[in-house]
Amino acid sequence: MLEVQDLRKRFGDKVALDGVGFAVRPGEMFGFVGANGAGKTTTMRIVMGVLDADSGEVRLDGKPLTYDSRRRFGYMPEERGLYQKMKVAEQVEYFGRLHGLGRAAARDAAGELIERLGISGRRDDAVETLSLGNQQRVQLAVALVHSPSVLVLDEPFSGLDPIAVDALADVLKDRCSSGVPVVFSSHQLELVEQLCDSVGIISGGRMVASGPVDELRDTEGRTLLKVVVRGASPGWADGLTGEVTTDGDRQVLLIESGDDQEILRSAVNAGEVEHFGRQRPTLAEIFREAVA
Amino acid sequence: MNGLWLVAGREIRTRIRTKGFLISLALSGLLVVALAFVPKLLSGQDAYEVAVVGAVPVAAADVTYTKYADEAGARKAVTDGDVDAALIDDQRVVSKGELDQRLGLLLESAHREGKIKASGLVITPLSVETGATAQYQSVRTGIATLLVMVLFFLLIYSAMYVAMGVVEEKGSRIVEILLAAVRPWQLLGGKIVGLGLLGLVNLAVVIGGGLIAATATGLAGDFPPGMAGIVISTVVWFVLGYAFFSVLAAAFGSLVSRQEEVNSVLTPMTMTMTITYLVAYFAAVEPEGTLARVLSLVPPFSSMVMPVRTAAADVPIAEIVLSAALMVVATVAVLLAGARVYNRAVVRTGARVKLAEVLR
Ligand SMILES: Nc1ncnc2c1ncn2[C@@H]1O[C@H](COP(=O)(O)OP(=O)(O)OP(=O)(O)O)[C@@H](O)[C@H]1O
Ligand SMILES: [Mg+2]
Repeated sequence: MLEVQDLRKRFGDKVALDGVGFAVRPGEMFGFVGANGAGKTTTMRIVMGVLDADSGEVRLDGKPLTYDSRRRFGYMPEERGLYQKMKVAEQVEYFGRLHGLGRAAARDAAGELIERLGISGRRDDAVETLSLGNQQRVQLAVALVHSPSVLVLDEPFSGLDPIAVDALADVLKDRCSSGVPVVFSSHQLELVEQLCDSVGIISGGRMVASGPVDELRDTEGRTLLKVVVRGASPGWADGLTGEVTTDGDRQVLLIESGDDQEILRSAVNAGEVEHFGRQRPTLAEIFREAVA
Repeated sequence: MNGLWLVAGREIRTRIRTKGFLISLALSGLLVVALAFVPKLLSGQDAYEVAVVGAVPVAAADVTYTKYADEAGARKAVTDGDVDAALIDDQRVVSKGELDQRLGLLLESAHREGKIKASGLVITPLSVETGATAQYQSVRTGIATLLVMVLFFLLIYSAMYVAMGVVEEKGSRIVEILLAAVRPWQLLGGKIVGLGLLGLVNLAVVIGGGLIAATATGLAGDFPPGMAGIVISTVVWFVLGYAFFSVLAAAFGSLVSRQEEVNSVLTPMTMTMTITYLVAYFAAVEPEGTLARVLSLVPPFSSMVMPVRTAAADVPIAEIVLSAALMVVATVAVLLAGARVYNRAVVRTGARVKLAEVLR
């Protein structure tokens, strides 16, 4: 289990992290979301030891991280960096070897990842000749080549086309199901919602919510009542405090649940009720509310 | 250690694939070979053939006489270039263009000697005594001067490459993932070792090329005894100097994030190297001067001045040992401070990092 405990970090007067903490279990995919400047990158750089925290700790299976435990991590920094003049396959293999793989193992692992991430046609090209998205795939291959025991990826999906997004999601799910804790940050909330077992929302250097996606949807944000009525005359809901939108001959009412039976009665009177039920907030809605 | 060698291997593979490396290697080799031929070109001819008509004069060093039956035949031989000059009746000299100055002197003195001998006068030639070192002085100075150039260019060029490599990794942020895989000392050490080995290869090409060319041109015959010692000391001092300056270059380089800033941040180092170069140049000519003697002990100046002094003159062993010991101490000190600067500065991208901040 990867545990981040009460990290604090200032840059001069600016407080970047003000007690950030979360835990990722083996085989869990953790989505790290937050507005620009919220502190995601700073947290991940501290986890990787690129930055030192002013206080707080990062533990793996109960033990503070050391150089050797971090060496088995897979890391994708926010600012991508590769040797521009080095060939794709050679570069991925080189990083495999730096992380301790033997020559043959590194070559095999590099070949397989390059294949899976869909850049096998470019394996002998210099990185600088690849498009940005393809360079990003190389960057991912570099982070994954040594079968890391923990994955820390800073915005791994940004800049990828939908096919690459699927390929990467597949690879991550694979790694996850083999028991690896995966942490990644992203601004694509639908993707996070779809992929992650849990999420952490950070705002202004503090965790404002974290936990399994399902639990968050139950406990965070407002649960609204959604009523869809067909063929109702406009203004049927004038007495109610919800929001009405019109979609063809359907009228959709979103309303804070309260006197639900009363609402249902007026809906039935107004027209044909197509849908009546509680609607849990999406991650995006929880996010907006949490960081507001 | 494995990490260090992996890094070194990559540096070597990347560098030897570049055209720049191969070109500079070839050029530096060609340069010393060319220099080995210079004395031969400058010294001009060393054997002459002279056509003789009539009386044959007294033998002269480096001159072969060939008898011709008449003046016309001798003149034709001169015009055809078969002989360098013709001597007619031990009285007149005929040459095609201007008479070679040395040949003129040789013929003149042979002529006089013949006349003096004929008069019965006996002259014993002056005997010349020289000190053992003085005998090879000009050759030693020549070798030393060449060494200054070779050491200076190889050192500054290798150190520059270390700095550029450090900045490349820092600027492209690749250092963040590198340091997730290897320790800073492995990354820095691998770069320094890899590029240093290439520097040694270049040095070997220069020395080897020079020695082979010198043997081919006969220049090697004038080499002072102890040439092997000069070669070994050059290699050892190159290693020491390189260790010192490359660590310095890496430390300064790690302060900046862009290649354009490398030159300005390295200025203190290149200035030191240039001063060292000038002093070493001076030491080649005047190896026993006070400046040369003092600075051949003071690191990092000693890294160039001492090998040059050793080549140019006989330096007491004690001085060499002292100087090497001081240089090793200085190198270790630079290594400790430089590694500290590098460790702290290399992940701090953005604006130039202040040296005082990272040394604290
Ligand atoms: N090296 C630094 N020096 C000064 N301030 C910094 C530094 N790095 C980060 N900060 C500040 O720390 C805060 C958190 O930044 P961080 O990069 O962690 O945000 P983020 O959540 O990754 O944002 P984004 O979504 O834009 O990537 C920001 O206010 C930023 O300005
Ligand atoms: Mg970020």
